[in-house]
Formats: sequence, structure tokens, C-alpha cells
Amino acid sequence: MPTKDQIIKTLKDRFGSAVIGSESPKPERLFVDIKSGKVRDISNELVAMGGRYLVSVGYDSIADNGALGMIHTFAFDRDSLYIGIRTSVPADNPVMDSITPDIPNAGWSEREYADLLGMKFTGHPKPKRLILADDWPEGIYPLRKEVPWNLMPPAAEDVAYQLDECPEGCSIIPVGPYHPTLHEPAHFAVYVDGETIKGSDYRGFMTHRGIEKLCQTQLTYNEVPFVAERICGICGSVHATSYAQAVESAADITISRRAEYIRTIMLEIERIHSHLLWLGLAGHLIGFDTVFMQSWRIREPIMWLGERMTGNRKTYGMIVIGGVRRDITPEIKDDILNVIQKVEEELLVVQKAIVGDTAIHRRTKGVGYVSTQDVVKWSLVGPVARARGVDIDVRRDHPYAAYDEMKFDVPVFNSNDVWATVLVRILEVFEAIKIIRQCLDKMPNDGPVLTELAAPIEPMRHGIAAVEAPRGEVVHYVITGKENSPERWRVRAPTYPNLQGVPLMLLNNQLADVPIIIGSIDPCFSCTDRMEVVDIRTGGVKVLAQDELETLSRQIK
Amino acid sequence: MDILIVVANIVIFLACAPFFEGIVRKLTAKVHSRQGPPLIQPYLDLLKLLGKESITAGNWAFKLAPMMALASIITAIAFIPLGYTTNYLTQYGDIISVVYLLTLGGVSVLLGALSSKNTYAMVGASREMITMIMVEPVLAMTFILGAVKSKGLAIDAAVFSTLNNGYGWSYVLMLVVFLMALQAFVAKQPFDIAEAEVEILEGPFIEYSGPNFAMFKYYLMLKQMFYASLFVAVFIPFLATGSYLLNVLIQLVEILVVFVLIALTASTNPRLRIDQAMKYYAVLIVMSLAAVGLTAYGI
Repeated sequence: MPTKDQIIKTLKDRFGSAVIGSESPKPERLFVDIKSGKVRDISNELVAMGGRYLVSVGYDSIADNGALGMIHTFAFDRDSLYIGIRTSVPADNPVMDSITPDIPNAGWSEREYADLLGMKFTGHPKPKRLILADDWPEGIYPLRKEVPWNLMPPAAEDVAYQLDECPEGCSIIPVGPYHPTLHEPAHFAVYVDGETIKGSDYRGFMTHRGIEKLCQTQLTYNEVPFVAERICGICGSVHATSYAQAVESAADITISRRAEYIRTIMLEIERIHSHLLWLGLAGHLIGFDTVFMQSWRIREPIMWLGERMTGNRKTYGMIVIGGVRRDITPEIKDDILNVIQKVEEELLVVQKAIVGDTAIHRRTKGVGYVSTQDVVKWSLVGPVARARGVDIDVRRDHPYAAYDEMKFDVPVFNSNDVWATVLVRILEVFEAIKIIRQCLDKMPNDGPVLTELAAPIEPMRHGIAAVEAPRGEVVHYVITGKENSPERWRVRAPTYPNLQGVPLMLLNNQLADVPIIIGSIDPCFSCTDRMEVVDIRTGGVKVLAQDELETLSRQIK
Repeated sequence: MDILIVVANIVIFLACAPFFEGIVRKLTAKVHSRQGPPLIQPYLDLLKLLGKESITAGNWAFKLAPMMALASIITAIAFIPLGYTTNYLTQYGDIISVVYLLTLGGVSVLLGALSSKNTYAMVGASREMITMIMVEPVLAMTFILGAVKSKGLAIDAAVFSTLNNGYGWSYVLMLVVFLMALQAFVAKQPFDIAEAEVEILEGPFIEYSGPNFAMFKYYLMLKQMFYASLFVAVFIPFLATGSYLLNVLIQLVEILVVFVLIALTASTNPRLRIDQAMKYYAVLIVMSLAAVGLTAYGI
């Protein structure tokens, strides 16, 4: 297990002058500045030392030094260490080596900055558009500072994404852009030979709204958490928490222990609801609607609990930089205990039914197989990785909030299929309940839940933070800015790496397994697209008042 | 009088099939802890569809297919002796014509799907075809079993052979096979593979809407009731009384029980994949052949 010093020493020994310098603002963070020519070798060296690729962050620093910056980030899970290797290329010739041939999961990150910053990556195996719409004009790079946040180029006709070539003898089955399996717009082209899948291509990002650019230019530090929370309609708190932690890490802000406990509770409540939601969807996707309805029935009291605690069923709006916005009163504490007790009892029944149901085994065992080596190579995260023998969990490996004091198990299975994913998710609900009980039990009363910032946040400091979302690891990277808003804010949702692994999971499976395989990663396209869901009200003739709707939705027989 | 029974057959089926569908939906909802739609919802669905605009997505075959499906199943119904009473038409058909009519319904579904040229419809059609090829033999064997027993191809002799010849081991085996194939006959979970909503969006029917879709829906409901009534007539003949009306009533109650069984099986099983289903069907075919073989030896 390499320590920070050993890593720097190894890099300096091997690459000499290519390593310009390093800084370590916190014990578990390390930033290394390197020359762009050696980016591929150094990335490979970090992976060889046991690093796990997270995400790349590109940014525009033309105003400072006429360059485009690029940061590849890696995690050393056994050492609770995050490493960012920072480099830059001149804006007039922004070419650097692609790291994708060796680290396939960097593929999307690099394509993203080819689209948004106009960088070029030599050796990239699939240099196609990823994020920008097909009719977006060439030469306008929206993440560069010269481009206004609300630029709307005119739409063009007759442009379409060119799918990858279909293997010979196969036909293309479109899954998307609108398909009941997906629930959100995204397009998988599945190449099938009969009913057997021989390949696939993905075109997503159809609802990209540029939240990062919006927040960097239009919002202040403490407005961003509320937008961050709206990145995802299911696990919003993880984004708000991750963002807040990244800023706190960059600006060295300490919050009260009680606030950290409350954050933990909110995250775990969110995990329970998200896992139950997924379990239901998974049932629906294999045509088992009884599982669907029963899981959602069990889940509903969690939503009501959320509303009693925060005022909202979802999108709690609890987390800001410096802590949380509401305290947990003794009455709410009892309420939580009662609700999770009920959920635990009911889920035990469902668990027993599912584990004993051979028909479910038939539809999920051996489906979506990916070898453990491939999961590591492709840097997949969350239940998808844990179901395939990779023992990673941010809560344990890089403790944040109050997880350092929590005792919980991380379920890991070795059958490498969808069935194991089901098991991981069910077991994690029980672990979440365990964590909430510990939190409520031990919660200290050591000060205000919201810490006022003593001084303005210094500019140009880097912060990285990850949170274990129900779907896997969420990573937020923040570079602090001058005018009370982040200079650069990069979001990486767990679906971002996992979606890149889907073609691997689909290969040689049956067409009928496409829904459950895509569903098994619990794809959140809104997370990867980083869009804002806008609810436009259509004028109805008969309008139901809020309390009427609530009564209607809560009649349980 | 015999002619009237033909009319009664058709009217009873047309009137009751949506009701049984309503029962299935209500029961499924109960298993789901939902309230579920009212029992008359399938009637309302049909009415609503009939009132909608008819959108055509293919050539003439696209419009012809639903009519042909509905017509073929109604003709099959006309032949079948409901209420343990043969009717005027029964003598003019034989078991081959019934099997033919039922297959024609399936072929119509294929025809409609293929003429729409939709990718999902194509996949659905190929799955439907496999299902037809693999499951029809079980139906045919059920009839042939009766035919072998009664040494003739007449419908009434084949259907009433348990009533006339008593229960043998071959019938018990066939009853088991028929029960195991029932979900596939009525295309409910775990064998709603050809329609599979989340994979291929109702497959063969994806392009259908309005009155054309209403006809297909009605066809499916009638088909389900037909198989349920066939099961009741062949395997549970013991409750036959002297009165025609009472017989019909008893059969309807028995059909209801079969539908309860269908609903419960459907709501406690996930959908199988076509390759898994094929293995299952193959076992059924072998078992039904064995049953016919046993009959030949008089067992």
C-alpha cells in the first residue's frame, strides 16, 4: 500500500522533470502538477500502483495563463486517498494524449471536453460527440468563458448521430430515445443476431442543460446545493452533500458533528427509498409487477417521513455549505425509529419471497455477467461493482460525514450478475436502517447545525469529495472562484461510469434481458446529463386541490 | 333449437369474456395491494377504443388482420359444445377445423404484425410464431386424445370423451399438461413473451390503435375464455345436469375458477425469456405425446 510520499517519490523517480510539483492541503488529498506530455504514462503508473480512475475535470484558465486545464482524478481506496493529477495545454493548440486506451472509463470524460472545451485527445478510440446536440455548430465550446451561459445557436435540420457500424448479419433494435425501459430519453442501439446481442452503441445526453456552466456563472456558493440536489430526481441529497463537502474541503471549513450526523441520516433515508424504488423497477422490468407494487408500498412511508422531517417527500433541501438547515427534534427521532422499524419488518417478508423465488433466479442469475477484472478495468462503481466481487464503498473507504463512527457491513457477492445486484441492494437497506439507528443513538449536541462562514472562501483552491449514493459513488470536484461562486464545478454521478460498462454487460445476452441489464445499473440519465427537470403545468379543466390529491394518493386499504 | 344454441354460444362468450378479464385485473390488483379498476373496465376500454380514430400503419393486411382474428375465434366458439350440449354446427366440423381456426387467429396476429413493418412488431411476431409452433401441438394432442378414445374426429366425441369413457391415467397426464400450458395459451405471465411491454412494447400490437386494436383486444379476451371453457368441458365434466341453462351456469362458474388460477399464476411469476420458454414447451409436447401414446394402449 503506497503512502502519499511514496507515490510522489515513485512519480518523481520515474518521470523526473515531468512532475512539476505537488500539494496536499489535507491528509487524504493529493494534487500533483505534471507536464501534459506524460499524462498517459503517469495515469497508467497510478493505476498500476492500485489507483482507481474516477473522473477527469477540464477547465478554462485562458484568462490566467492562456491554457486549458485538465485534471485526472484517482482514488486509492485502501488508503482513503484521492489524487488529482493536474496538467494544462495551450488554448491555441489544445492537444494531449488520450488515457482512454488503457483506462477505458476516461472515454466519456475526454469526449466531454472535446465537446465542451475543444480539447483534442490523440489516440482516443471513439472520438465522437458525446454531450453536445448533433446540430450544435462546430467551433463553439460552451464551457469556455467567452461563451455566454445562455447562448442558443439556431437549430439545424438533417443532422443525426451516426451509430457505430453494425456487425455483419445483425439487425438493429432501437431501445430509445423513448422506451418504457428507460423512463428518460436516451438511445441504445442494440445489435442482435436473432435474439442474441452482439453489440450496442449509446447516444445519450439528450437533455443536457449545462447546470455546471449555469452554477459557475450565475449562482453563488450557497445557492448551488439546491440546484445540485435537483440534478437527480431520486438521490438529490448525495449531490448536495458531495458538493458541500467539496467546497468545505477546498476552503477548509469545519462543521459541527451534529450536522454531520444529520447529513448521514438524510443520506441513509434516501438510500432506503432509492433501493426500494429500484427493487420495484427491477421487478417491473422482468415482468413481475407484484414485486414492483409491494416494494413501492413499503417505500411510501419513507417518503412521508421525509416530508415530516424536511417539508418535502424528495429533494429535501437540507444540505448547505456549513451544515444542514434543520435539526432533528426528539419527536422526529421517535418518528424515524418507528418508520424504519416498519420498513425493516416488511422488507424481511419481501426478501424471503424474492430469495426463495426460482422464477426470479432464472431471469437474473448469470444475466449481465462481467468478470471482476473487467469491472476493475472499467472502473465501475456501487452495487454494480459490489455484485461483481469488487469490494469498494466510499462510506467505509473514504469516510465522510459521520460514517467513521458507524458500524456496518458492505455486502459483496461473487456471482457477477444481476441477481447479485438484487441481493446487494436489499441487504444495503438493512445496513442503512442499522446506520440510522446508530446515528440517532449517538448523535452529539455540540453546536449549531449550521456553521456560519467566518471569512470569504479563498479563490483557486481545489476540493474533491465523494459520497456513496444508492447507485454508487458520486464525485464532485470544485475549484473555488473569486466572486463568491465556484470557478469550476464538476459533477460525476455513478451512472456516468456504470453506463459505459453497459455494452460489456449486454454482450452475448438475450434481447429479453436488455431491460433488466440496463435497469440493473439503475441508470439515472438526468444525473449524467446534469439537467434540470422543469414541470410545466398544463391547464386542466378540473383542478384538484393539494389536500384532495394527498388524500387520494394516501388511501390505503 | 340447435341453431339457437349456436347463437347462445356466441352471445355468452361475447358478453362474458371482458368480465373475466375484469376479474383477472381486479385480482391482480388485490395481489399488488392496489384497489384496481372496476370489473366493467374491459367493456369500457373496448367501447372507448371503438370510438377512436383508426390509424393505419400498413397495407390492406394490416386492416384485415384484426377482423380475421376476431372472426376465426368467433367461428371456433360457434362449434364448441357449451353447457355439455352439442349444437347444430358441431356435427359439421371436426377437431381439425377447430385447431385450424385457432391457428388462423394466431396467423392473423402475425399478419398484422408483419404488415406494420415495425421492428418491435417483428420481434414480437417471431416470438409469437415460436409460441404457436410449440404450444399448438399440446392443444391438438388434447383433441387427438379424445379422438383416439372415441375412434373418430367429431368435436363432441373428442370433447366429451372423459364424460363418455371415464377418466384414465392418460387423461390425468393430459390434464396436468393442459394446466401447465394454460398460461401460454392465454399469453399471460410467465408466457406473455410476445407482448412483453418493457422489452418490445406489446410486440405485434404496437402499431394498432382504435377500433382495430379493440378487435384484437376482444380476440385475446375471447381466446382466453375459449381455452378456459375447453379445459372445463374436457376435464371437469362431472357436474353436468339435465338442464341446459344450469349446465351453462355451472360451466361459467368453473371458467371463473380457471381465471382465478390464471390471475394468481400471472401475478406471482416474472416473464420468462423465449429460450427458457421453449425448453418448457418442449417438455409439454413430449408429455402430451406420452398421454396420447398411453391412450392408444387403452390406459
